[in-house]
Amino acid sequence: MKRIEVKLSLPVVAPLLDLMKASSDVLEAQIAAPLTLEDIDADFRDEWKAELLKGQHEELHALMGLFNSDFFVNGVVAFDEENAEVIVRACSALRLRLRRHDLKVLDDEQLESGSVDLEDITVPLQKPYMCYVFLGTIQELVIQHLDSAILRGPASERSTGSDDDEAGDDDERGGFGDKTD
Amino acid sequence: MPVTLPVLLPGRTPLREAGTRTGVAPAEVAETETVLAPQGPWRVVVINDPVNTMSYVVLVFRKVFGFSEALASKHMMEVHERGRSVVWSGLREQAELYAFALQQWHLTAVLESDETH
Repeated sequence: MKRIEVKLSLPVVAPLLDLMKASSDVLEAQIAAPLTLEDIDADFRDEWKAELLKGQHEELHALMGLFNSDFFVNGVVAFDEENAEVIVRACSALRLRLRRHDLKVLDDEQLESGSVDLEDITVPLQKPYMCYVFLGTIQELVIQHLDSAILRGPASERSTGSDDDEAGDDDERGGFGDKTD
Repeated sequence: MPVTLPVLLPGRTPLREAGTRTGVAPAEVAETETVLAPQGPWRVVVINDPVNTMSYVVLVFRKVFGFSEALASKHMMEVHERGRSVVWSGLREQAELYAFALQQWHLTAVLESDETH
């Protein structure tokens, strides 16, 4: 099973976790992306929304679970084919929440281009923006290294459990966020 | 150009009554036709958002629809540049499943039919 370990900078990431947790809590009761289901039968729509919320809850639980007591000892988080999919989804959900709530004063163009300079935005915006960028970086990293695993689906959900990754057991360690200059 | 999977043609079942065998010819032959209401085409449309990255959207299209990377990238660029892309069309039930799957991945997806546009 392919697995990547990423060593994060504790002084940089730890302060972001409170905001991630607060946003995650809000998303217990809210769908991250806007729902447009006017044409759907009301009962069906409620079931639809409940299923989406349930999935979203599981994703966010998996993401926040990465930052457990071990993380505060060694600063390492690990991604593999079992958690890759839910992690990238959770990052998306949180980024949508941050954009809609905490970063709503920023232009779409600024966010899409990633051209925001921390020094150019107000202090209250800096932490949400750092959080937004951090989640995007995690997402990109997982997609870059584990996209084929995501496309195949978790091994636990596949009928045959013997088709290991083409590259065989593969353990990569990255130094992302390792230090700040 | 939207990707259209093969769908069943709308059912069309002509039911004709040619008369009876009572020996009495009806004064007027009733001709009825039952046409099953078509369920399609419904379109699954993905709307642009400024949050989800290009690589993420490509991944989602590949995962949900089984698109090749090139086709997924084409739809992603369409969403990015035109604000929306029709990623699938066909029967409503399947369209709903696809819209649900896209929403599980936190993309903004809507269903449209010929009647609504």
